[in-house]
This record gives sequence, structure tokens and C-alpha cells, in this order.
Amino acid sequence: MNGNVNSQNNLSADEIDASCRVPLLALCNCAALWLALGLALELLASLTFHMPEKFGGCAWLTYGRLLPAANDLLVYGFAIPAGLGVMLWIFARLSETELVLPLVPVIAAHIWHLGVFIGVVAILIGDSTGFAWLEFPRGSSVLLFAAFLLIALSAVATLGARRERALQPPHWFLLAALLWFPWIYSTANLFLVAWPVRGVAQAVIGWWFANNLIFVWLALVGLGVAFYFLPKFAGRTLPNYFAQFAFWTLILFGTWLGIPQGAPVPAWLPALSSVASALTVIPLIVIAMIFGKTVCGAKVHCKGGPFCYVKFGTVAFILATLMLIALGCPHFSRVAEFTWFAPAQTQLQILGFFTIVICGAIYHILPRVMNFELPFPRFVRVQHWFFILGIAFLILPLAIGGILQGIKLANPSFPFANSNDVAIQFLRVSTLGILFLLLGSLLFAANIFAMTFKWKIALLKSGIAAVTAPLETSEVKS
Amino acid sequence: MKTGFRVFIAAFVALGASWCGFVLAPVLQLGTAKQETVLNSSDTYPLQRTGDATLGLQVYRASGCAACHTEQIQQSGVACEIELTSVGKNPDAVEKQINAVFAPSPFFGVNFITNDQNIPYGGPPSIDISHLPQIILNHLEKSKADAVVGGITSAGGKAEIHIVATGADISRGWGIRRSVAADYLYDNPVQLGSLRVGPDLADVGARLGNANWQLLHLYAPHSVTKNSAMPPFRFLFETKKIGDAPSPDALQLPKELVPPVGYEVIPTDDAKNLVAYLLSLRADVPLYEAPFTPPQVSTNTPANKK
Amino acid sequence: MNDEPKISDSQQSAEPAAARSTVPMWIFSLTLVLIYLGAVYFDHHGGWFNPQVYSPYKNAEELDSYQPKSGAAEFIAQGKKTYDMICAACHGPDGSGKPGQAPPLAGSEWVNAKGDRRLAEIPLLGLNGPITVKGQPMNFSSGMAAMGAGLSDSDLAAVLTYIRSSWGNTGGPATADDVKAVRAIVAGHGAINGEQELKTIPE
Repeated sequence: MNGNVNSQNNLSADEIDASCRVPLLALCNCAALWLALGLALELLASLTFHMPEKFGGCAWLTYGRLLPAANDLLVYGFAIPAGLGVMLWIFARLSETELVLPLVPVIAAHIWHLGVFIGVVAILIGDSTGFAWLEFPRGSSVLLFAAFLLIALSAVATLGARRERALQPPHWFLLAALLWFPWIYSTANLFLVAWPVRGVAQAVIGWWFANNLIFVWLALVGLGVAFYFLPKFAGRTLPNYFAQFAFWTLILFGTWLGIPQGAPVPAWLPALSSVASALTVIPLIVIAMIFGKTVCGAKVHCKGGPFCYVKFGTVAFILATLMLIALGCPHFSRVAEFTWFAPAQTQLQILGFFTIVICGAIYHILPRVMNFELPFPRFVRVQHWFFILGIAFLILPLAIGGILQGIKLANPSFPFANSNDVAIQFLRVSTLGILFLLLGSLLFAANIFAMTFKWKIALLKSGIAAVTAPLETSEVKS
Repeated sequence: MKTGFRVFIAAFVALGASWCGFVLAPVLQLGTAKQETVLNSSDTYPLQRTGDATLGLQVYRASGCAACHTEQIQQSGVACEIELTSVGKNPDAVEKQINAVFAPSPFFGVNFITNDQNIPYGGPPSIDISHLPQIILNHLEKSKADAVVGGITSAGGKAEIHIVATGADISRGWGIRRSVAADYLYDNPVQLGSLRVGPDLADVGARLGNANWQLLHLYAPHSVTKNSAMPPFRFLFETKKIGDAPSPDALQLPKELVPPVGYEVIPTDDAKNLVAYLLSLRADVPLYEAPFTPPQVSTNTPANKK
Repeated sequence: MNDEPKISDSQQSAEPAAARSTVPMWIFSLTLVLIYLGAVYFDHHGGWFNPQVYSPYKNAEELDSYQPKSGAAEFIAQGKKTYDMICAACHGPDGSGKPGQAPPLAGSEWVNAKGDRRLAEIPLLGLNGPITVKGQPMNFSSGMAAMGAGLSDSDLAAVLTYIRSSWGNTGGPATADDVKAVRAIVAGHGAINGEQELKTIPE
């Protein structure tokens, strides 16, 4: 079952998986913790709208600090490390070699999570940089950057050691992501935090960074993972030329999105973003076609398992990209800008697409890597339903409420308070959605922590056994 | 896409292109900007904020105010008003010239002239000669406004064109023109915001320029704005025992929020700096990129306002 | 885990791509159409990278038209419009003239004369050649018609002010009253014949 011996090579999948064990656990344990914590902070943040008085006394609990902390935990705390962990496993499997330099990602994981911890505490005490998705202070971002480079080193080395020289579609997406993050992260930190540029150029670079991180980077890694697992689960092959076309058009056009239409910048900047969002329809169509060709008609039932996760996540990506393209259209943006529609889109991208795809991938990978079954296999299905309900209750009301809020905002005969009154009803439902997501993430964390704990106990036991075992007499010198 | 090197090149080209377009070009174009001159004046804009206000920007950043407030006014259009200042010696000729702009179309006798917001005119304006200067037309496109003024001038009258910015934010009173790059020249970090749970703050210094109101609003938003979605920022204030005499900074609170006898609520330095920053937020001078005619004290109501 | 995956594409040797996995042509066409439409949109709304053009202004000219102009600048702009419409066909948009057709106005001593009466008479009455401009004798196949006779006083004054202040010319402005006075003086006269007659008119 778990011993796919490839007759051409000496390495079994077991050995490849085993080499990924420690790096994966190092990355994903803390990632699961940050996911739960991030969702808890997001729940607190949305509660500040429903009971503002209770949150008025403590600076740590003000919405303006809770929300950036929650968002950064979701992206830097969970999405990036978990995505990198899955990437390492996929590279090892596709290369049919063991993970090269396995200790490097382990050290990097600790550096990364230390950076996240410092960053989150800094935001809560008021030391954020003030830029969306880049709130971690200087020290933290140096740690994150270094850790990413170390993990990329191991990933590229594993890729370089591959037996089959031709690259597969997942390779392209994941490899591009390895270049993407260091470039955008270093640019943003150098131009905004270390040596800040003057004036509104800061905002432009901030928007460029946010788009390239939340849309492009998560799309590259999420689609790379999805394009590995969807054909695998469905028993089909991925259409190669479609994937090539999707890759090229996604990175060429998708990177130009992000400048809001009414921004206080010269007209050419929003115009370029608007053109790019029209062009992003192309990769969207192609990715939808790839999904259709790979999944539709495949007679595989997913039963709430990893296949369901990856399918749902990919559909969520298509919807999130549609929302992003709509925001690039000036007429729609006039209504939807500055409303809850934009946060709904980013949350759908991060939670609806990326988190769900990665959770599905980890649920598939972890038992193989640890070589024993999940401690709580029923949680997988329950979490699946929690996540679906959570996304539906979070995103739909935010999006609809946002549009209604925007309609009121665009009409000056309505007093400003009307737009908020309309939105608050929808916010109540979305708070419920976050609660469901939080419960799901706790189930996820339970599975991972229990697995790690079981493994550590087994390690301890085998360590004790090795130490107390009688020695071979031939080894004892007289 | 066979080799890793080709993938690297593809990603490098794609990201490099957008880096040039959205990082390098804006830094060269906007990041080297200098102060500008206000239209029809020799004043420079913007001015450096005072020390208090600069510290207040850091309080704004640290409290995450940009999570709920934006600092960017939007403008959806620009329109002209015509102010008639004199009818000269021949008021009938002037009136005839103005009405000529509204001649019904030869096709259906229907007046097809509309303004830039597609609001059709009900008919030519009525001019009250005894109350000049008078705004006789508004919401006109520039070319139509020029035609009207040209007609008035050739008939011996005098008229001025006023440029007016239009848009929902401006109608709401949040500002008088759109925000442009010059408004943020000295801000570090620029806090544009992206969500309007609260009103836009780009011009709040002109609109709500009372420091006491701002302090009270920070301490207890519900007391000054009914239905406010803003949580109280009580951690920016201290409740202290009254010393020898009440502090001059103490807040004048409404009955239900007054602290116990012998105590007073004093704003911390953070609160005072934040309020100084809010009061420094103004975007009300005309610039080359966002021209408008500064309003004078008007003495007449527009005759044809829609 | 019952959904044991089958061996995927990625774990086999590279297979030839199935024919139906070729990207259909309509996607490429759609891409090109969208690129074209995007270029058109950018042309209309992008302000061509001008750092001063913000929406709702579409380009630098539109932005410039909304700037408040002082009276003199407005007057000269009006004169330029009329000049471009009526005079530029022969005298050139830059006042350089056309050999055999019209003399240059840029640097012309007739344009830069201290007063504007003699200059105003030329468009009011018309002028037949030959004429020496900037030391160059010039002859023309046909003369200049009274192009300015149909213009209003202020329009003609604006044109004269424009040509006297453009292309390096240093003449002063002309007012509508000046033109009105000259019109009254020359009422009923015919075209000016040649440089000899032109020189007799006071500046």
C-alpha cells in the first residue's frame, strides 16, 4: 500500500517520504498553530464590531492591530511555511530522490517561526510598519527572508538532483514561486521600511507587493500543488500545453494587478492595472478548463478526503480571481472600492483557496511521511465541512454586504452611517464563518500535533530501547 | 519548458517587467517629486507637518487607523459653472446669446444639451439682472462653457468660468478636490487606507477642525456620533486623580461618561499628537493636477442648479 | 486511506501530449483581442504616463484646458486657434511661410513694427507682392486676400497679438479697439499693392 517500489530506481517512495519527515514536521507543526491563532485573532477582530465597548480599554485589542496580526499570521505564519513544506515533498517525489540537505529546512523552519513570533508581538505592541501585508518590523523580515532562502536552497538542490530531467507543470509553478517571494519581499522591505521612498510611491510599491504576494505567489504555489494532486487523485493526466499557457499568462498578466482605480496616483498606473485585470481573464479561463478536463467525469469519490479539499480550493481560486478581475473594472470598482468586497476577495484567496488546498495536501502527505495513519481520521471529513461552511458564511456575506455598502457610499444623498448599518448585518454572519474556520483549524492542529507527539514518543521509546539494549559481545573490548 | 533555467528566465522577465512598471517607474516619477505651487498663488504645497503632527502620524500607524479609515478623496468628474458678472450695455443681447446655447435641436424640437453627468437641462436659466454677480449655469462641459462665455463677451457682457470637481466624496463634503501625489509628499509611512468603515480623513482638518471634538470622539465615539462603528480608544487617555487644580487638558465629558468625583480624564501625549495629525490633514488648495476655483463668499443662489 | 493515488503523469516517462490537449485557437484570438482593447483603453485613459494627468482628465491637453488662465494667455490662445484655422495654411503653423505662396512671419520686421496699424491693414485689405522680408526679396504668384476682413475686431486683435508674441517675435499686443480704429480708417480701400504702398502706411 505504502510501498510503491519503482522498479527502475533504488529508492522507494517510503524512503523519499521519510527524508521529508523532519523538515515537514518542523514547518507544519508551528504553521498549524499559527493558523489556529490567526483565525482566533480574526474572530476577535470581527467581534470588535459587535461589542466595541469591551475592546476599548486595551491597545492590544484594537481592531487596527488585531486585523493585521491575524492577516499576517495567516499568510506568513501558515500559508508560506506550509506551502514550502508541501513544495519540498512534491519536489522530492517528482525528483525521485531523497530531500537534499534535509537539515537546512529544519533550521530554516525554526528561524522562520521565530520571525513570525517576533513580528506578531511587534504588531500587537504597536510597532507595525504601517503597510498592508508587510507589517512585520525590520528584524523579523530579515529572519523571514533568510529562512526562505535556506528552504529555497534545499528545494532547488532537490530539483537539481532529479532523475527525470524534463520538468512537470507543478515544477514550473513552484519554481517560479521560489524566485517570486525573495524578490518582492526584499524590494518591499528595502523601498518601504529600510530606505523609504518619498510620498505616494510608497503606496504604489505597497500595492505591487500585496498583489504579488496574495494573488500571484499564493496562486503559483497553490496551483502548483493542485496541479500535482488533481491528476493524481483523479487518475487523469494534466493537459500539458494548457498548463504551459496558464503559467505564462498568469505570471505575465497577473503581476500587474493591484493598483486601485481611484487611487491618488497618475492615471497611467490604475489604467495599467485595469488592462491587466481584463487580460487576467485568459489564465482564469485556461485554469478553469484544466480543472474541468482533469476532474470532471473522473469517477473517483473523494468522501471528504484530500481530493475534496483540493477540488474545493481550486474552485475557490477561480471565484477569487473573478472577484479580483471585477475590482479592476473601473465601473464596478467605483461601487466596490473601499468596501468589504476587497477583504472578502483576499480572504477567499488565502483561506478558501490556499489554506484548503494545503490542508488537503498535508492530509495526504503526512500519513505517508510518518508511515502511520492519522490519529483522528474522522476529523478530516468534519474539518472539510467546517471549512466549506466557514468559507460560505465568511465570504458571501462580506461580498454582498460590501456591494450594498458601496452602493450607499456612492450615493451622496445617503448619510455615511447608512453604509455601515447595511454592512453590520452581514458582518454578524461572517463572524460565524470565522468561528467555523477556527473550529476546523483546531481539528487540523489536533491531527498534526497528535501525529508529532506519537512520533516523538516512538522516537523516545526507540532511543531508550537502543540505549538499554544489551551490547554485542564482539564490540566489548576486554 | 524543459529546464529549470527557462522557468527561471520566464519568471524573471515577468516579475522584472512589473517591477520596472510599478516600482522603478513610480520611484523615478513620484519618488523624486518636489513641492508644487498652488494655482494662482505663490504658496508652495505641501508644507511640512509640525512635530506633533509627525508624531501623530506614527500613533495613527501604530493604532492601525488605516484599517478602517481612508485618506484619499476620489473625483469622478469635473464641471464648469458660469458666473455672470456684468450684462454691459445690452442685457437683451446677452440673454439672447445665453439662450442660443439652448436652442432646441432641429430634429425633434427636443433639447439635446446635457451636462457631463447626463442631466438634461430643463431650459435656459432665468437671470436676475439686479443681483449680479450670479451663477447662471452649472454642470457644463468646458467646451460648452467656453461657448457660452464667448457669446456673453461678444454681446458686451462679462462672465467667469468656475471649475468645480464632482464626485460622491466631494458631494458628501469629504473634500473639495481629489487627492493627488503632492498631498502625501512628506508622509512616512503613507497611510492611504483601503476600507471605509469610517469616513475619509484626507480633509478632516478642514471639516472637523476642533481639537476638543476630536479628543472626545477618540475617547467615546458614541457620545459625539450616533451609530458610530468606531470602538472607543480609551487607552489613549488616563483617568487621574485631580491634583491641586483641574488640568487644563481634562476632557469635558457628557454626564454618563464623567469619571468618579475627584478624578479627571486627561489625554496622553499620544492622543494629543494624534489629534494634531488629524487637524493637519487638509487637501483644500487647487493644484495643477487638480484644478478648481476656490469658492468665494457667494451672494446669490444658482438660478438653474440641478 | 482508500483514495490511493494511481501513478500520475509525473511518475511516468514523458508521454506525448494527447491531441485534444492542444490549446484551442479561440483562446489565442481572445488574448489578442483583449490586448488590443486594453491598448485602446490605455490610450484613452492612461494619460500616456504623464505624472500630472489624474483621472477624470484623459490627457494633458484636457487638463491644460481646465487651468485658470490670465486674460492675456486666454487671448493669445484664442488668437492661436483662429490663426491655425485661417492663416496657417499659407503662413505655416510655425510662421515660417511657404516659398512662392506666403512670406514668413517669424522674425519679420513688418510683424515686429512698433505699432500695429500697418500690420492690421494687411489682413483687413489684402496685400499683393512683391515684398522684402528679412532682407529677402519675395514674389508671389497671387496676393493675399483680405483674410481678416470677416473676423471680428477682437478675433483679429487676438491673431495679431498671437503672431507678434510667438516664434521669437517681440511685438506688443493688439487690442480690439486698435483694430476697430484701423477698420474705420481703411473702410472702402482696396488691396495694398506691393512693398512701395505698404511702406507709405504709418506703423
